[in-house]
Amino acid sequence: MEQEAQLVQQCLQGDGSAWEELVRQHSRRVFNICYRFTGNRTEAEDLAQDVFLRIYKTLGSYRSAYGGFATWMTSVTRNLLIDHYRRTKRDRITDSLDDAMPVVENKASSARRPDEQALLGELSSQVQSALTRLSPELREAVILRDLQQLDYSEIQTVLAVPEGTVKSRINRGRIELARILQQMGVRPS
Amino acid sequence: MTWTCEQTELVLSDYLDGLLQPEQQHAFDLHVNSCERCTPLVASVSHAIANLRALPELETPPRLVYNILDATLGPRETITGWAAVRVWLRHLASPRFAYASASVAATFLMLVTASGSINWKKPKLADLSPVNVARNTNRQVQKAYAQSTKYVSDLRVVYEIQSRLRQDNELPTNNESTTPESTPQKEPGRTDGTNPATPRQQNRANDVNTHLQVLAEELPFLSGKLSLVLIEGRSR
Repeated sequence: MEQEAQLVQQCLQGDGSAWEELVRQHSRRVFNICYRFTGNRTEAEDLAQDVFLRIYKTLGSYRSAYGGFATWMTSVTRNLLIDHYRRTKRDRITDSLDDAMPVVENKASSARRPDEQALLGELSSQVQSALTRLSPELREAVILRDLQQLDYSEIQTVLAVPEGTVKSRINRGRIELARILQQMGVRPS
Repeated sequence: MTWTCEQTELVLSDYLDGLLQPEQQHAFDLHVNSCERCTPLVASVSHAIANLRALPELETPPRLVYNILDATLGPRETITGWAAVRVWLRHLASPRFAYASASVAATFLMLVTASGSINWKKPKLADLSPVNVARNTNRQVQKAYAQSTKYVSDLRVVYEIQSRLRQDNELPTNNESTTPESTPQKEPGRTDGTNPATPRQQNRANDVNTHLQVLAEELPFLSGKLSLVLIEGRSR
């Protein structure tokens, strides 16, 4: 954590190599959060780039007391993903959030490359599809908890909601995910 | 403690994360083990979490980092002059480049040798000029074509001789079944004690001799003259 704070200080002093180091250290995690949230590789790549652009511009507002650079970056990523979701929601035809998400997933699935499908495998593809059908509030909570392995306090910081709300969203998200997977025919053996 | 299905749903994540208090854990287990609705719910959620955590972490797209750095720090400086040459030479030192270069050189040598452009005993730089290479290649091609034409022609002659010999060998076999055998010491057609020139001459002489013998048996009064002719025919 001290090393990251030092790198941030160097970045603020105009050290390009320090910024490059930060980008290389965190780009994979940011890209994966974006991909799991959108289910689309190209969209995730564009969003990850936007995240780092925003971080670069707002680096001066980072404080180490905030909870670590990774947590702060995750928070920025989450805010940008929600902004993106709301922005694209206006473009959708359907009114209902739950009805709109499968449309997004269908588009994402059709846009996915064949090698990507092979990489993920059928089960992984189904789980990713079920994940993108969750509401954004439940989806982000489940991603942060079960994919990014953040603890409750970190998720509370990222989402800026009380711990009870975090627990409730994670719990509801998991139950809803299991229900969707069962509908898709993915059941425990 | 009375436990309900709603309570199971509410604390399901705490149960799966091992965060329940012992009393709650006991009541939870008692209820779930006997509830037809909650047993599959716990199993399906546990299965969903396991599948979720098994999702692979994707690799960062290679261009993402460069795009971010270009967008934030601006396009990177391009190296010029001797620094660029040194970087370029560093790339040449890679094993892949060395292997590719060796393959290209070996192929080039094979082609030049096959074209006959270079006399390896007395190599000259002029042998590698395009005019000489083209001329020598043309000569080699003409030579190879002539040799192959001659070879095919020779094959045709040999085949023709073999087929004629085969035809001639088949003729005496047919005559043997209809004509009596002649004595090996006195074969017709033999004039000077040597073999007849061709098998066809031998066959013709055999036929004449046979006919004269039959005529002598049928006409005994002429047997004297015919025997003379027969003797003359045999001696011829």
